[in-house]
Amino acid sequence: MFPWQKQKTEAIEKRENRKISKNLKDNIAYLEEQYSYGLNYDFESKSVHGPTGKYHLLFYSTTVNTQQLSNHIVSPLLEVKKDIPINQILSVPSITPIKNMGEAEKGLNEGSVIIFKEGLAEGFEAKIQDFKHRAVEKAENEKTVKGPKESFTESLPTNVSMFRKKIPSKDLIVENINVGMRPAMPVTLIYERDLVNDEVLENIKQRIKNITVDNIRNVEILEQFIEERPSSLFPSMLYTERPDNASNFVSDGYIAIIMDNSSSCLIAPITIWSFFHSPEDRYLRWAFANFSRLIRAIAYFITLFVSASYVAVTNYHSQLMPIDLLLAIASSRERVPLPIAFEILLMEVAFELIREAGVRIPSPLGPTIGIVGALILGQAAVEANLVSPIVVIIVALSGLSSFAAANYSINHTLRISRFLFIAAASVYGLLSLLGAILLWVAYVVSISSFGVSYFSPATPSTKSTHDTFFRKILKNERWRPGFLNPKDWDKY
Amino acid sequence: MRQFILILSLLQLAMILSGCYDRKELEEQAYVITIAVDKTDRDNIFRFTFEIANPEVGSSATTPSTNEPAQEMISVLGTDFLSATSTANSSVAKEITLEQVRVVIVSEKLARSKEFIHLMQSAPSTVDLKLNAQLVISKEKAEEFVRHNSPNLESRPHKYFQYMLDRARETGVIPDAPLVRFFQITEGDADLFVAPYASTVKKPKDSYGDEDSYKAGEIDFHGGNVTQFMGSAVFKEGQMIDSLTGEETRYIHMMDPTFPQQVILSTFVDPLEPEYNIAARVQLDKVKVKIDYKKNQTSTIDVYITTHLNIFAIPSTEDYMKSQKKRKILYDSIQKEILKNGEKLVKKTQEEYKAEPFYWSLHIRKKFLSIKDYEQADWSNKIYPNAHVRLHVKVASLEFGKTLRQSDIGRVRD
Repeated sequence: MFPWQKQKTEAIEKRENRKISKNLKDNIAYLEEQYSYGLNYDFESKSVHGPTGKYHLLFYSTTVNTQQLSNHIVSPLLEVKKDIPINQILSVPSITPIKNMGEAEKGLNEGSVIIFKEGLAEGFEAKIQDFKHRAVEKAENEKTVKGPKESFTESLPTNVSMFRKKIPSKDLIVENINVGMRPAMPVTLIYERDLVNDEVLENIKQRIKNITVDNIRNVEILEQFIEERPSSLFPSMLYTERPDNASNFVSDGYIAIIMDNSSSCLIAPITIWSFFHSPEDRYLRWAFANFSRLIRAIAYFITLFVSASYVAVTNYHSQLMPIDLLLAIASSRERVPLPIAFEILLMEVAFELIREAGVRIPSPLGPTIGIVGALILGQAAVEANLVSPIVVIIVALSGLSSFAAANYSINHTLRISRFLFIAAASVYGLLSLLGAILLWVAYVVSISSFGVSYFSPATPSTKSTHDTFFRKILKNERWRPGFLNPKDWDKY
Repeated sequence: MRQFILILSLLQLAMILSGCYDRKELEEQAYVITIAVDKTDRDNIFRFTFEIANPEVGSSATTPSTNEPAQEMISVLGTDFLSATSTANSSVAKEITLEQVRVVIVSEKLARSKEFIHLMQSAPSTVDLKLNAQLVISKEKAEEFVRHNSPNLESRPHKYFQYMLDRARETGVIPDAPLVRFFQITEGDADLFVAPYASTVKKPKDSYGDEDSYKAGEIDFHGGNVTQFMGSAVFKEGQMIDSLTGEETRYIHMMDPTFPQQVILSTFVDPLEPEYNIAARVQLDKVKVKIDYKKNQTSTIDVYITTHLNIFAIPSTEDYMKSQKKRKILYDSIQKEILKNGEKLVKKTQEEYKAEPFYWSLHIRKKFLSIKDYEQADWSNKIYPNAHVRLHVKVASLEFGKTLRQSDIGRVRD
């Protein structure tokens, strides 16, 4: 498009296609210059004089497994007596021949060891990377009492291995698509070949391929590049850190997206119900799971509507209240200077402050939040006649309920919607509140995630497990989610 | 397009701003709990007494109680509920609202006058006044009634009336009389409307009768609050014509299928030792009314009353529990007593009032094809007063509380 861009690409291509020379010194000099040997303190360039010839190793000392390097590469090279090809000498699991400098650079960048031999116009890449990452730990954000405890970690091979462990099948496809330029990072799609809907898969692949940004390092960023409505309140992908949850989705025909450097994965396409479901709902027995669903359903309604209903009823429909409650509210409000709508907003904002501060605060200072939140904002505010006690109860209730959401992705949706409803209720009472709810629901029903209706299987109704508000007994769940149109609908 | 959006947003603004018109902050309103209405010496001008609850008294357990009284009473002249409210507001700082009115008390003098129906006509059009407020007729001036009424235990007025009316209705000695029922019956123009009768002036009857053959004010008790709810006031065509005792009111409950079926407490004569009474809790099945309408002839009305009795006091210590023969006697005697009292009440309504307070007109309406036919047949003037009313009382079951046998007085005394 632009002349300078063309020059740049040409230069890069020329460099990448540079052939590996028979002259060892040339190769080394070229790569040492490219990798600023001497300046980069962890870039190593070592020559090995074995009985059969002169070898040279290039690698980053911080990304390779040094034990494997000495035991499986250097020692065999020093010990071998016959002149046989390098890939037959070395006992590392993955060793591939390379033809040009582009491949050599790619290998170096990925943490491999590049081996050249004097007089040979080809090199070898030995993959003995050892990138540091956390061990597999317990899930922190999606806790369950019953069920597996492990969570994803920031390493692609580890995460894929967790998928493979859960779905040991040749139909489980782990496909890479490169995204970005500086450098290109692989995005890994995980799906079941015999279940996934090809249209949805193609849609997601196309969206990933269409990304034209220099780099994307993790799924959290990737999510925002491939979603359909970036400014919407409703997320169109599920973000989960539990491999068991992710594989449950994959074995229903959904697609999981993972990347190196992310300790979570994305599930697409998604419906609104999945945000309200916890993996524990399936691990618990039918009655227990549905009881917990019921409690959560109540919590959603409380967090969305309790403050708004309070504002509407007290301001516009005081005849709806039992007289004891009415007089109690009226007497506690007698010395409060603010109108009810502002009183509620003040406390809601205060609660959001506590929440935001609680996430950011360094853990040694953590207990401060409790003291500030409980004492100052609760009790002292009431004693100072800034707010009435019932408002503290209502806001605490709605704040607490918002955290009963099974998935963090929907938590913000609920909390922001709550403010919309409070504003609506303060305008025209229950009438405008109902209007706002109507518009809100109409919007949720109208949107879709990668071509799948957001509210299905409730509407449009399809064959599925009918796992919406409540779930059935597992034996009676005959169909896979029909709204995905998987290749095989029948679970039996 | 831009203009369209502009107009839309202006409309939006109009909606938002008009919202503020209706908005009332809770603490800026004064909640009236009771309205008492009295006749004045001028026609169609009434004295309204508003009893306003003080929200600060008794509503919070932690805040120190104020020295303010639990209620404020203000009395003004007016022609209807709304205009009286605005007059009263000239002295009450907060905006007076009638949304929470629980009881409308009307003095007997006003209820018996022709003006009463004019006063009541303004009630449904008063938006704030909810029509499920109870209508209560006070024997003395309603203002006096409200001022004398000073319950010691339920200092908050709304609690007192709520408990009092609920309790009295449970025992069946006063009827349930929401304002809306007054309008239904008065406009139906076929039945009698009954409202609770109350008084704060004691004029005890000399003789001790049954515990419920009193009217308000006649019960002799000491201590406590002076207010008594007992019996009912009878309205014909929107005007009070008579008052009934608690016992008669109880029989109205038994025979009126529209009243919620409740458990009422009552006493019956002990058939074997008539100087003693038997106390029982009477549970009523829904009463069935069948009307055999014959044009220009005597119609027959069959009323089926089924009761379940739970007897819990037999002071005579007669052993009804063990002896089947005695139990049979008890069954018959109770049936007879209910029948006798019921028939007495029906006779009174047929001869004295020439209309019935049981809302039986509901059962004859379906016999006519058009409203015109029904009105021509004239239930209240022609059919009912001449009808042959047959009561069928059935005691379906007897239970004897927790004891299995009566103590043998002879052996105890021995």
